[in-house]
Amino acid sequence: MLEVRDLHAAVDGKEILKGLTLSVKPGEVHAIMGPNGSGKSTLSNVLAGRDGYEITSGEVLFEGKPVADMETEERARAGIFLAFQYPVEIPGVSNMEFLKASLEAVRAAQGKEPLDAVSLLRRAREACQQVNLDQQFLKRGVNEGFSGGEKKRNEIMQMMLLEPKLALLDETDSGLDIDALQVVAKGVNALRSPDRAIVLVTHYQRLLDYIVPDHVHVLAGGRIIKSGGKELALELEQKGYGWLTGEEESA
Amino acid sequence: MTPAEQLKDSVLALASQAHRDDGLTALRKRALKQLQLLPFPEKRHEAWKYTGLNALTAGQLENAAAPVHQSADVPALGDCVIVIGNGFLPEQLPTLPDGLSALLLSDNEAAEVTPDTLFGWLNSASLSGGLLLKTERNRKVAGIVHVVFCNQSDAPCHASNRLQVELAEGSELTLIEHYLGSGPVLANAMTRILAGANSKLTHYRLQSESADSLHIGNLQIDQQRDSRVDSSQLMRGNVLRRNDVHVRMLESGATLAMRGVFIARDKSHIDNHINVEHVAPHCHSDQVYKGIAGEKGRAVFNGRIHIHPYAKGSDAALSNNNMLLSNEAEIDSKPELEIYNDDVKCAHGTTMGKMDPAQLFYLRSRGIDEGTATRMLGTGFVNETLLAMADEAVRDWAISWLGEAL
Repeated sequence: MLEVRDLHAAVDGKEILKGLTLSVKPGEVHAIMGPNGSGKSTLSNVLAGRDGYEITSGEVLFEGKPVADMETEERARAGIFLAFQYPVEIPGVSNMEFLKASLEAVRAAQGKEPLDAVSLLRRAREACQQVNLDQQFLKRGVNEGFSGGEKKRNEIMQMMLLEPKLALLDETDSGLDIDALQVVAKGVNALRSPDRAIVLVTHYQRLLDYIVPDHVHVLAGGRIIKSGGKELALELEQKGYGWLTGEEESA
Repeated sequence: MTPAEQLKDSVLALASQAHRDDGLTALRKRALKQLQLLPFPEKRHEAWKYTGLNALTAGQLENAAAPVHQSADVPALGDCVIVIGNGFLPEQLPTLPDGLSALLLSDNEAAEVTPDTLFGWLNSASLSGGLLLKTERNRKVAGIVHVVFCNQSDAPCHASNRLQVELAEGSELTLIEHYLGSGPVLANAMTRILAGANSKLTHYRLQSESADSLHIGNLQIDQQRDSRVDSSQLMRGNVLRRNDVHVRMLESGATLAMRGVFIARDKSHIDNHINVEHVAPHCHSDQVYKGIAGEKGRAVFNGRIHIHPYAKGSDAALSNNNMLLSNEAEIDSKPELEIYNDDVKCAHGTTMGKMDPAQLFYLRSRGIDEGTATRMLGTGFVNETLLAMADEAVRDWAISWLGEAL
């Protein structure tokens, strides 16, 4: 589904990713772990197509097509979803209006029927319930005045409605208390399916207690320096990243 | 002769031609005298620094508009609609709701009018007829009254649009003052509102003419004791748009809520000069204006609050927030405070910014194309202002009409 080959990427002219290679197949859950500044967020942003994140060499293929040729919205319509580390607040645009525009665009691109207003509202309410968000949040501005945990749950709620093929979760667990983390994990686990892939980018092993990955990769210095199964995460928990990077851990 | 002197000559000629004997003769005469004394506005005058009037050299001031009978499509916003074409009142007025009467403006009621600009005087001097609406004491007028000024012409010309509204003590009215039409016609609008003691007015001033037309307007609101005025002023840009809004809170206890949205796209120009005077003590005014300029659009906002020496206990707030959609767009915003009493609360603020790239990326990352995302963010920016409007029909229409411009 996702093939990243020898990816080099720069932010504002500074090279952050230095030869990253990763292969994700449908049905798999990958965890990408790494210390601060290792390039985790750069990877998420490059995959989603944020301005200023430039692929300098190598390639990223999604279902065989180079994502570099696709605009941000085309990637989303093709089924890539990024749950943001820091979801932005958009006062004046209601969550519901936003979900409607998003679902219409993505469903139309995938040849699905548009949802009528009633089914859309019903689905949105169900999704809210699944992530313990009060339905009042649908009426409020996008993320406006939401707490950190509410913002993260709002991301998962959107993911449930959009049903992406590839979900990238960028430090969705950071700053969450355990109750909220469990809600988020429940949402993600509910989406696990044989034709969907999930990539968890995280700083903390704790998330992996609730979402058990098939593969764990350690990202450091812009490259994946070690890959393994879920036991690798436990090893990292005990030994820290310094064991692999040969440096004192700064985090 | 400078262009300004030539335009001044056209103004005087236009005013002289309008002379005739009817119920407005004294008003025209008085206005013509004023016009002879006033200079034609130029950029060297502070109030016109950012708004040049070169567009008027196309000949709008040389010809008075002829009556039009075809009525443009008028959106159904009110329960009672009065359409005025090129400034000419209809021969028959519709049935009005109880508690409201409509009359022809005459010298008596117009005696005390002192417009704020040369164009306001020109409106009086060249007036063919004005609409006067009066409410009955202690009555609430049911429904929404929709007064439509439709200005339409294929050739450059000048149309005086005149409205006077008098709210009797304790009465209530919801009024839409709506400008539409197309062509190189200059709509010269003069509206005067007298809010009587303890009266309540909900007022919408909608300016939805097409982009090829011109509009110079003067809105005056005088508030008496304990009157409540809520005024929303919404506009899109055209060749030239200038509004001078002047509110005087003449007696204590009056409250004013004013909000405005102006959107200048392409090469359009919008200038709003707002002047709120707290003449009497214990009045409250709250103003929120939002501006957007894109492409080579240009907008000007000048918001003045004047607290008079005896106006102790005044509470006045003004904010003007602006969004620029392109590097070539320009918005000039200037708040002015003049305060002559120590016992007041007064706040003002201006912001200027571009569309936030992080917000744009967020929407696009959810599959929403860039054009739609830009529109949503622009709409979001103005919506909190539009949502404060009381009447749902107007609100829904405004959200979609202004959304088209984003």
